[in-house]
Parts: sequence; structure tokens; C-alpha cells
Amino acid sequence: DIELDFAGDENFQENHEREKHKGKRRNDDRQKNKRENQRRKRSSKSVQGIREESQSKTERRGRGRRRRGKAEHETSEHEGNEEKRDQIRAKTTKSKKNIKNEKTRKLEGKEDGEAQERSERGKLKLVCAKNEEKIESGDQLKEKEKALGVKKKKKKKRKKVVETSSEPESSEEGDDEEEVNDDGEVRPELLSPEELEKLKEALDEKKKLIQSLRGKPWPMKQKLVTLRESQLFVEKYEGALGQGKGRKLYAYKKWMKFQRDFENFKAACIPWEMKIKEIESHFGSSVASYFIFLRWMYGINMILFGLTFGLVMVPEIYFMLTILLFTFLEQALMGRPYGSIPRKTVPRAEEAGAMDFAVLWDFGGYAQYSVLFYGYYNNQRAIGWFKFRMPLSYFLVGVGTVAYSYMVVIRTMARNANESGIGDDNSFNFSWKMFTSWDYLIGNPETADNKFASITTSFKEAILEEQESQKDDNIHLTRFLRVLANFLVLCCLAGSGYLIYFVVRRSQKFALDGLENHTWWERNEVNMVMSLLGMFCPMLFDVISTLENYHPRVALQWQLGRIFALFLGNLYTFIIALMDAINLKRKEEKVVKYNITMWEASLYNGTGSENSTAPPITIHPADVPRGPCWETMVGQEFVRLIISDTMTTYITLLIGDFLRAVLVRFLNHCWCWDLEAGFPSYSEFDVSGNVLGLIFNQGMIWMGAFYAPCLPALNLLRLHVSMYLQCWAVMCCNVPQERVFKASGSNNFYMAMLLVILFLSTLPAIYTIVTIPPSFDCGPFSGKNRMFDVIQETLESDFPTWFSKVFSYASNPGLVLPFILLMVLAIYYLQSTSKSYKEANVELKNKIQMQNEENKKKNKQAALKAQMDLEEARKSASQRNNDASVQRREEDEKIYNKNQRMYHGRNPSPSVGDREPHFPVRGPAPRNCHNGNHGNPRYLPGFHQQSEPRMYRVPSVAFLGFK
Amino acid sequence: MVSPAIALAFVPLLLTLIIKYRYYFVLFYRAVLVRIWKDCVTGLSREERAFQYVLTNSTPGDPDSILDAFDYWCTNVEFISNIGPKKGKILDRLLLEQSPLTVLELGAHCGYSTVRIARVLPLGARLYSIEMDQGNAAIAEKIIRLAGFDDDTVELIVNPSDEVIPRLRSDYNLERLDFVFMDHWKKCYQPDLQLLEEYGLLGKGSMIVADNVLFPGAPKFLRYLRKCGLYEWKIHRATLEYSKGIRDGMAELIYQGIK
Repeated sequence: DIELDFAGDENFQENHEREKHKGKRRNDDRQKNKRENQRRKRSSKSVQGIREESQSKTERRGRGRRRRGKAEHETSEHEGNEEKRDQIRAKTTKSKKNIKNEKTRKLEGKEDGEAQERSERGKLKLVCAKNEEKIESGDQLKEKEKALGVKKKKKKKRKKVVETSSEPESSEEGDDEEEVNDDGEVRPELLSPEELEKLKEALDEKKKLIQSLRGKPWPMKQKLVTLRESQLFVEKYEGALGQGKGRKLYAYKKWMKFQRDFENFKAACIPWEMKIKEIESHFGSSVASYFIFLRWMYGINMILFGLTFGLVMVPEIYFMLTILLFTFLEQALMGRPYGSIPRKTVPRAEEAGAMDFAVLWDFGGYAQYSVLFYGYYNNQRAIGWFKFRMPLSYFLVGVGTVAYSYMVVIRTMARNANESGIGDDNSFNFSWKMFTSWDYLIGNPETADNKFASITTSFKEAILEEQESQKDDNIHLTRFLRVLANFLVLCCLAGSGYLIYFVVRRSQKFALDGLENHTWWERNEVNMVMSLLGMFCPMLFDVISTLENYHPRVALQWQLGRIFALFLGNLYTFIIALMDAINLKRKEEKVVKYNITMWEASLYNGTGSENSTAPPITIHPADVPRGPCWETMVGQEFVRLIISDTMTTYITLLIGDFLRAVLVRFLNHCWCWDLEAGFPSYSEFDVSGNVLGLIFNQGMIWMGAFYAPCLPALNLLRLHVSMYLQCWAVMCCNVPQERVFKASGSNNFYMAMLLVILFLSTLPAIYTIVTIPPSFDCGPFSGKNRMFDVIQETLESDFPTWFSKVFSYASNPGLVLPFILLMVLAIYYLQSTSKSYKEANVELKNKIQMQNEENKKKNKQAALKAQMDLEEARKSASQRNNDASVQRREEDEKIYNKNQRMYHGRNPSPSVGDREPHFPVRGPAPRNCHNGNHGNPRYLPGFHQQSEPRMYRVPSVAFLGFK
Repeated sequence: MVSPAIALAFVPLLLTLIIKYRYYFVLFYRAVLVRIWKDCVTGLSREERAFQYVLTNSTPGDPDSILDAFDYWCTNVEFISNIGPKKGKILDRLLLEQSPLTVLELGAHCGYSTVRIARVLPLGARLYSIEMDQGNAAIAEKIIRLAGFDDDTVELIVNPSDEVIPRLRSDYNLERLDFVFMDHWKKCYQPDLQLLEEYGLLGKGSMIVADNVLFPGAPKFLRYLRKCGLYEWKIHRATLEYSKGIRDGMAELIYQGIK
């Protein structure tokens, strides 16, 4: 099947004919040997079969010689190529074996060469004859195809022969021979130079074939088969043959392959990649974007957790490592264990119920006096042999988590911005829709149906929109509806804000009364109400937003914005309530502090009066009176909020999605309407709500992580569970959205929200750190005036004096202010340059567009001109047509030949000739038609028959020609 | 004791449900509550009431005016699940394109769809209409005669469809049905279709139109269509008759035979 490629390669064949025959002869030699030996009946049979076939062919030889011109030539060439391939194969099998007696063999080859040559030629002729016999009445194209088919059969047989022939011999020769056969490995050093040369040429041909394969007029299947074969061949021998450049190329290819494999491996290592891909295929990329975002969050939380756990919690944990018996590490690194000092002990009053589940669930009791919260940490400056600066580390980790988060978010945003580039979606609305609306990641028929439907509806909508924008009559109604929707949403927000405010006030009242007098519902009212509102209000917004009639992508952004406002309002109401609570605690603290001094004094006085030299009375740490420790309280609140939030999410998932799906699925058999298609149906995945839930969850983590170091760990757990739970829920209980749309660019929207939330959540944390003095008897900063004093302290005591001096100079406002000024200037400069770049880009784009339009115009003109020419030519042709139809037939033939040459020969792009205006018309497209006409002897070239197709083909051909 | 604030937090959910499913609530009210109320007050069945209205408000012998009267009554007074004007137009179009000679209608109810089909049939065509319920059939008969169609054009058969279909060939000398309209019990769509196939009443090119395949819905029917491969089919999406917001569809099948 490579014959067409070698239409012009006659020289090559002539040059290598001899060698080919030699190879062939070897093959035959072997066969002869085998037949004599009669070792394997199978092989001998096949050989005999071929012989018989050839005999039968000779009988029919005479019949087949009707048309023997080009076709025969080509087929013979093809045959030659095949032989060459066979010969190469034979050679590879033999290469090893031949190494010793190669020369003698060659001599033999020369002796027998002539006889073999004769027999070969005979065979070739036979083949040709057979081909032609088969295709007697067909047209020429079909002829060729059939010939190909025949040859394929033939080739297969030959291959078999070669294989079978090599088998017994290989068994004779020994094990290494077999190895060569199996692996197909060729050792170039074992080949003679001329064989190498040949192999190289074959390789080049294969490469050429691969390159030119696309333009061949073959059926697809054949093309694929050929391509695969040639690629295999090239791959097999390229490396072996390559020396110098080829070898380098081969190495490069291997390297590329390795890189590709490595990429695949890396992709396989990305956690949950397959899960997300599967979801993407079922639900489209917008749902998948949520899961990708979730995974990204997981990564960030992993690092936050690593920071807090490694630098804060582990040094403070003692009991865990005593279990591991790392006494050295204990001594080296650890702080004091539980129960050693008052802040690490549950007070006596709470001890009774400290292990109750209800208490632990509220993070009181043992959970409160553990490493999970701020209050447990000791203010000892350096602990263990390593002098680990615990308070400093605590502070720096708190700052570091926030700084790291900022960095990551901003970096990701910048990268996304780069990727998205500057695309204006407005200018080519319909072509964008036409060519880019399909989501190629969809792998599910149902989703594909949905997508199909949504594309059609989007087209309808776009057309309607276009019409409406021209008509411009309904715009007032739409505007009114949009305003109304926003008004309703605002009402809803105000209502929910008031409800939360009301609940918070009530809870403060409860707190003043004492929480023990109230029920569990009342105690957890704030969290419950916040979670419920956060769950139900978005649904209401969603319903309201159907009024607005936006594109789903825009609608998603509006929805996100609204939920954002809701959550933010809720969160800030909560924070304000917390601030009130902090103030209350601080008042309480003052009283307690005074009481403690009194208590200590009385203790001292009591002991002092009896015996001044007696050792001081040891008091169990549980009995020491405590301050209220507002930091732990804040941490507890956040942890409770997170827990209740997580719980509501999971419960909603189970009830709203799973239970609904189960009911719909199993009640459908005995219900009076179709539950699946109609009324309750299955739920859709709520992208906006879930994303915002995630973002706000993260915001709470950032806010509370300073006061509750356990928060990143908790969040990690939550994200991990929700990854699996939500993946499962999506796949098992949700249906794809009715309007599946691509989530293009919305990723940066999420990121922007995350950044805003990060900023908003660091504000209260920083505010509390800077303005409120830490509690006097708990936490790493107890006894200091402000929490950040720890840095100054470290600078003074742990660094050399010159360093602190430098630092004090550097922190001088005189130095800081100019620096800030410089930074602002730099930012301004960068901003303006980027703006100018953007403008330049837009201009370039416009230029390209203009150029395109110009080209289009040119093409149109050219096409028109070609049409004119054609018409003229046709007129003249019709004049001529009347006198001589025979002449016309000849002309047709000529044109056909030309076409053939054009297709089979070297020049791929025919230029439009001015002298023959009808040539391009007949060029590429109507080849089949011509062939049919040509083969048919009854064909009479009527002008009317041809005029129609010509008319059709004019534009396309002209376009091709001028492109 | 649940606190009132928590109860208040459920208000958005309630609002959401009400707004989202308002059409279903309206439908429930009109089709069930009003019907029960009127049944108690008048002592007549719904179909009889509809017939009374049509009798007094339409021109005898004019199918269009009868249909209009029906539509008016069903939109503004009570609800009867006829095919309705919107889907009716699609049905008209299909009938005009196909111009069938033998038509089978499953489920005449009170004759609305029978009149609708009969008025666009070509000359010499014959419509067999099957209705299971005696009372409904009596009213349908009256409506059909009121519209001016005689026994030659429309034949009303009072029997369940699964009994009639096997006897169609023997009792009514039917060889092949050109057009079948299904609007009876949604659960019978699939078995009846299979019966039609089984008794060889469908030829290549016969068209079957099934109403209400999405709401109330015939999931088994649709599943069967997807699976069997005997039909070329599509669903005309529309809304439920006399209601704006409930989506419904009408399936159009063309029998292709076994390939």
C-alpha cells in the first residue's frame, strides 16, 4: 500500500533491484531447504500454495492484458517495495546468523542472482495480470483499490511464509536467534554497510509516507493501518540505525516519551484527579470547578495545618510523646505537661463533668484545657534544651499563616489572569457560540443530551436577544424585574440580618442569666439560626433570580454576590456579638484579678503568721482561681461555629439530596405522576452556594486560627470528608444542570472573593491582637501588655544589640514612610505600563481583524474573477462543443491524467492556471465523477449534464485556489 | 422547646418552596379542591358540567366554537386535562402533514381531542376513539354529535384499550393504523404500544403521538422508546394544558419497523 508514494521513485527501484532479488532469493533458498527437509508441514504447505497460485495465474495470463499502462507500472513498483520490506524483515532475522558466513552467502547470491531475477519478474507479471483481470470493467480508481486489496492479501501470505520459514531455522540456530525474532531488535554493528544503507532508505521512505499520508486518496481504514505499520517500522529501526544526527534524534524522542510518561505519572499522582474528571464528564466543568477549588483549599489548609501543628502544637504536646518514650525529645523540645500549671488543668468546679460528651461537644471540659485552644499555652519564654521560643513561634505562626494565604491567593489570581488573557466575548457572539460552546469533557450521554439542548436553547435565546436589542421594546419590563428582584433580595438580607441581631441580643441576655437555666436549643440558637439562614436564603435568592432572566454565568455571579453579602452580614453580626462578649469577659477578668490578689495575700498572711520559714503551701493547680480567658472563649466560639456549619452542610446533603433521591427513585413506581421528570425530581448541584460555603468556612478559619490552633486541623478533616461525601452525593443523587455551561473565568471570581474574605477576616483578628491586652493568666502572651510585645522582647534579649539597633532605625517612621512612598510609586508605574500593554494588545487585535477583513474582500474578488473566467471559458467551450464531441472526450482524458498526476505526484497544491480556466474547477472535487464517466464506454459528453456540478463547485475551488 | 427564632429561620425555605412550586399548588387547587367543592355543590360530575357549559356557549355543528368553549371553561372555570390549544396546534400540524386515513384515539375523555382530530382529517378518513368510562363516553358521544361528525367519521368504542386493541383487526377490519393518539392512562402507554406492535397494526411510517409524557409523565414508555429502536421519535416540549409553568411534552413517534 505504499505504491503511490513511489510513483516517481523509479531510479531507486532500479538501483536496488539486485539487492532486493538477492534478499528474495535467500528467502526462497530457505523455503527450498525447508521443503526438502519437510520439517514443518504447515510452512511447506503455504509455500506450495503460493506456487500453485502462481501456476493458475499463468493460465489466466492472456486474458488480463487489456489495459496495461501506468497501472501496471505502479503495481510492479509497489510489489518491489513490498519485497524490500520482506527482505528487510528476513535480514533482521538473519542478521545474527549471517555474521559468520555472510561473505560466502553473498557469493552464492551472485551466482544464483540471474535465475532468481528471471523468476521474480515472472511473478511480478503474474500479479499484474491478476490485478487487471479482476478489474476489467471497473473504473480506474476502483481498479487501483482492488489492486491494493489483492496486494494486501498477497502480502499477508508472504509474511506468513517468512515467519514460518524463519521458525524452524531459528530453532535450529539456537536461542539467540529466537530472541532476535521476538524482540525485533537490530544491532547496527552487526549489519553490513550496504544493508544499513538500505534500511536507512526504507526508513526515509516510511517517514515520507507518514508525512504525505494525509493527502492520499485512500479510505480511512487503510490510512490508519498504513500509518500504524509505518510508525512501528520507524520506531523499531530508527534507534538501531541512528548514528550521529539520527541517534541524537532518537535519544531526543526517547526523552520526549519519557517526559510524556512522567507527565502522565504526575497527573496520576494528583489527588482525586480521576474523581474530578469523572464528575466533570457527567456534570460539566462548572461543577468540576467547585471540586478543583475544594482540592486547592485542601492543599492550602494542609500547609496551614503543617505550620500550626509543627511549630505550635507539637512543642506544647507532652503526653503524646511520653507514650513514644522519646525521653530525649521530651527534654529537648517539650513544654510542660497537662496538669502541671493552672492553665493546663481543668478547674475543680468543672472537673466533675469535664468528660461528659455534651461538654466535650461544646468544646468545654478537657477539650477547653488542651492544646486545641489558646489558653493552654504557657508564657515561658524558651522551653526545653533547644530553647524553643514558644510565644514567639506562636505569634509568628499566626502571622505566617495569614501572610502565606495572601501570597498564595494573589499568586493564583495573577496566574489565572495571565491565562485568561484579554478576550472580548461580545464581538463575535454567534461564532463563539458556534465553535466553542461544546464542552469536550462531557462523557455521559445524558449530559451530552442536556448540553445539546442547552446549546440549541442558547442559540434561540441569542437570536431572540439580537432581535430584541434591535426592537428594544421589552427592556423596561426586564429592567423593572431586575430592580424588583434586587429589592426583594435586599429585603431578604435585611430580614435575615435583623433575625441574627435579635438572636445575638437574646443570647447575651441568656449569658447574663447563666446558660444552665436554658435548653440546648436556646443555647445554640445563634449557630442554628446562622446556619439555617445561610442554607435557606440562597435558595430564595435562586428563586428570585429567575425573575431577572440573566445568562446563567451572569446569574451565577449575581447569586454569588448576594450570598456573599448574606454571609458577610451574618459573619460580621457574629463578630460584633463576640466583641461584646469579649468586653464582658474583660470586665469579669478585672474582678477576678482583684480577687486573686486578695486570695494570694490571705494565703500568704495565713502561712506567714504561723511559721515564716515553712515551705510555701503547695496548692493543686486545679484549685487556683482563674481568669475568664477571653481568647479561649473566642476560639471556642469559632470552633463551635465551624462544627455546626459542617453539620448543617452534611445534614442538608443527606436530607436534601440523598433522602430526596431515594424517595424519588423508589416511590416513582407507585406514584400518580412521574417524580423523576416532573415535580420534585432530583436536585441539581448548587455550585454557588457550595463555593461560598467553602470560602466563608475558610474565612472563619483564618479569623479563629489564632485563638484556636486546632482550627486548621478541623478544617482539613472537614474538607477531606466533604470531598468524598460530596463526590459521592453528586454522582449518586444529583442530576446534571439543565443548562450546563462552561465555567470560564469564574475561577478568578472565586479567588477575588477569597481575597476579599481573607482581608475581611484578618481585620477583626488584627484588631483584637493590636488593641486588646491579653489575659493575665492564660496563653503564651500572658503578662505582656500587648501580644506583639513578644517580638520586641525577642529582639532585645535574643539578638545582638546592633541588630536591635538596626531594627529600631529601620522601624523609624522617617525610614518607613519614604519606603512606603516608593512602593506606591512602583505600583503606580507598573499599573500604568500594564495598562499601556493592554491597549497595545487591543490595537493589535483590531489590526488583525482589519487584515482578515481585507483578505476576505480580496478572496471574494478573486472568486468573482474566477467565476467570470469560467463563464467565458464555458461559452467558448459550448461553441466548440457543437463541432466536436470526440475532441472533448480526449480533453477530458487529458484533464483526468493531469488530475491524477496532481494527486499522485509531488506537487500538492495546484496553481490556478489562467490559460485553462476550467482546470481548477475540475481539480480536486469531482474526481470520482470523472472517473465514472471515463470508464463508461456509453458516455456522451453532454454539456447539460456537466453544467450543474460546475456551477456548484466554482466558489469552493476558487477559494481553495486563492487561499 | 424550639425557640421562635429558629422557626423564623425556616421562613425563607417556606417562601422558596411556595414560589418554586406555585404552579403545582395552583393546579392542585383547580384540579382537585375546586372539583370536589363543585361536585358537592352541584351534584353533577365535572364532565357533565363542562358539557352543560359547552352546550349553552357554542354553535352546534361548528367544531372550532366547541373547542373554544372547552378551552375557555378549562382555563377560567375548572380544570380538565384535555390536550389544550397549544399542544393541539402541534397535533393539528402533524395530522395535516400526515393526512392519515385510519386514526385510533386512545382515551376520548369528553370528546375534546376527538373533535380536534376529526376536524382536520381528510375526506374519507375514519377515526376510532376508545374510551373506558361509560359516563365520559356518553358525554363524548354527545359532544362529537354536537360538532357534527357522524358515525362514518368517528366511531366511539366504549371499552378498555387493552381489550379493544386485540380485536381491532377482527371486529373492525383494520389492517393498518396511520395515526394513533394516546391520551388515556399514562401507565397504559407502554403496554398498549406493545399490543399495537404485537397485533401488527403499525406499518412503516405510522405515526403515534402520546400526550403528557413528562407531566404526569410516562417514564416507562420513554424508556421503552429509547431501548427498542423501532421508532424514530422526538418530544415536542411544551407546557401543561391550561397552565403556564409546568413543563410537559408530547412524544411523536414514527414506526420504522425492524431494521
